[in-house]
Amino acid sequence: MSTTATGPAVQAESIIHAYGERRALDGFTVDVPRRGVFGLLGPNGSGKSTFITMVAAMEQPQTGKLKVLGEVPAAGLRARVGTVFQENAQDPNMRAAEQLLLAGRVFGMGREQARSRAEALLGQFGLGARANDPISALSGGMRRRLEMARALLHDPDLLLLDEPTTGVDPGERQALWAALLDTPDRGRTILLATNDLAEADRVCDAVAFIRDGRVIASGTPAELKRGLRREAVRVGWEGPSAEQLAQAAAWPGAGDITALEGIVHATVDDAAAFVPRLFALAGSAIRSVTIERASLEDAYFQYVNQRAPAPEAVA
Amino acid sequence: MSAASACLALFERDVMAVTRSRSQLYSTMLTPLLFLVFLGTGVSRGLEPSSLPAGNYTAYLVAGVVVMTAVFSSTFSSASYYRDRDSGLLRMLLSSPLGARWLLLGKSLAGVTIGVSQAVVVLAVAAPFVDFEWQYGVVRGLAISFAAILLLNVMLGGVAQAVATRITSMQGFHLVMNLVLFPLLFFSGAFFPVANLPTWLEVLAYLNPLSYAVDAMEVATYADSSEGFIGLGIDFAVLGVLAAAVYALGLSRVPRLSWSGK
Repeated sequence: MSTTATGPAVQAESIIHAYGERRALDGFTVDVPRRGVFGLLGPNGSGKSTFITMVAAMEQPQTGKLKVLGEVPAAGLRARVGTVFQENAQDPNMRAAEQLLLAGRVFGMGREQARSRAEALLGQFGLGARANDPISALSGGMRRRLEMARALLHDPDLLLLDEPTTGVDPGERQALWAALLDTPDRGRTILLATNDLAEADRVCDAVAFIRDGRVIASGTPAELKRGLRREAVRVGWEGPSAEQLAQAAAWPGAGDITALEGIVHATVDDAAAFVPRLFALAGSAIRSVTIERASLEDAYFQYVNQRAPAPEAVA
Repeated sequence: MSAASACLALFERDVMAVTRSRSQLYSTMLTPLLFLVFLGTGVSRGLEPSSLPAGNYTAYLVAGVVVMTAVFSSTFSSASYYRDRDSGLLRMLLSSPLGARWLLLGKSLAGVTIGVSQAVVVLAVAAPFVDFEWQYGVVRGLAISFAAILLLNVMLGGVAQAVATRITSMQGFHLVMNLVLFPLLFFSGAFFPVANLPTWLEVLAYLNPLSYAVDAMEVATYADSSEGFIGLGIDFAVLGVLAAAVYALGLSRVPRLSWSGK
């Protein structure tokens, strides 16, 4: 299928990319639709940042096909892409406005055009009063907002956000998303790489779950959550056996039950009925229990564990 | 045109970064000037060197400390590659449509400009206090010195850039620069004339690119004749060829993501 102006913003097919012996991407296939926010969700080291780097035309896939905005990624494409990296890309000795001016000019804008656009974005991201402050004097959250403003400066068609709110407090996080999503819609596509599934649940129109360099499921959050039970129960459980897990999964009102890294994860219709039965089954092996409304995170666990090793191997 | 404008933006930013870093700005010039004051006075008064072509050791030393300033400056300027990498700014620059060679060009031109400015300031500060012969006149002497300083800084900028884009750590960079450039200063004629040295050291001096910059400036400012010096023709031929070749080498390898720490 060819990528047209109405086709996918990003089209990746069977991408394999290794650093030495380690495959960061291992048959990565995804279509990111145009417009809206698309989330790449996965743990650290799952290949999200590597893929973002390729979409930003900063690295070429070793094998496989990649098209971004209908083009094979090359230097010229970068003018249409804005990237917020996992870590700030700022000179702390520059002033906030200077940083944006520099970015505007290296992205091909004229001095005056960059200046007026920088002024508008600093206002939009609540940094107007700090425009002439050294970046080193800004808080962590303000620096992330400045990063966002910098990535939007040249009005890209595709905005890449690599864990943009890591280390940002909840208030700042909200301010950052509000400022970003308040941008007048001009058909921009946002590709968000994150391991914060609650955040992705709130802001993404569609997501892809990633594990070990592959997409293991994709769809809208509603589609991925379909089939989940009403409540999510996370249990700190020492050494559950496969038989115990199978037994719990057979109880009425219990959905999928999976175990990963010492945490047993279940979605159930009624946690108040499920949890006492669990204590009766496992007794003192249970260290903690958390009950929440089932979310995208639960869907993630469900999909991830379909590919995970057997419970006794990971518990 | 936009690439040239982007290159200019990088140039402006690097120059501004140095002018804001007062310690870097002044220490680069202060150390050579202290050499001039203390070493110049000490040797002139304490040893009364008699083998100098035109007497007056302090005046002789000026060309050497100007070259020393250029060496310091190129080292400091190229360290900005590491600062940009560590701050993450390089990642932003590499994500832009600007070709990496334009990026290098903007940064290196800033380094050359800063180096030339600092070397000229050192020459301007020192010149009124020493007895120069100005055998070609002051204006022509200054023009010759400026040309030598410019070519020297282009060459050193190329060396520093070539080293910076090949060595991952800033400590490694400073180690290489210290091991290569500073020993070169000692047998460049910066601190003593090469004419009366033992043959092995004289040969090393003629193989040393810095010798030709020192020689050109000594001829233009200090000396009352070119006798005993290499001569401006050879000086500028060597400096011109080396500056062009080394600067091209410096631009030949662009920074990559792997260089930026990933």
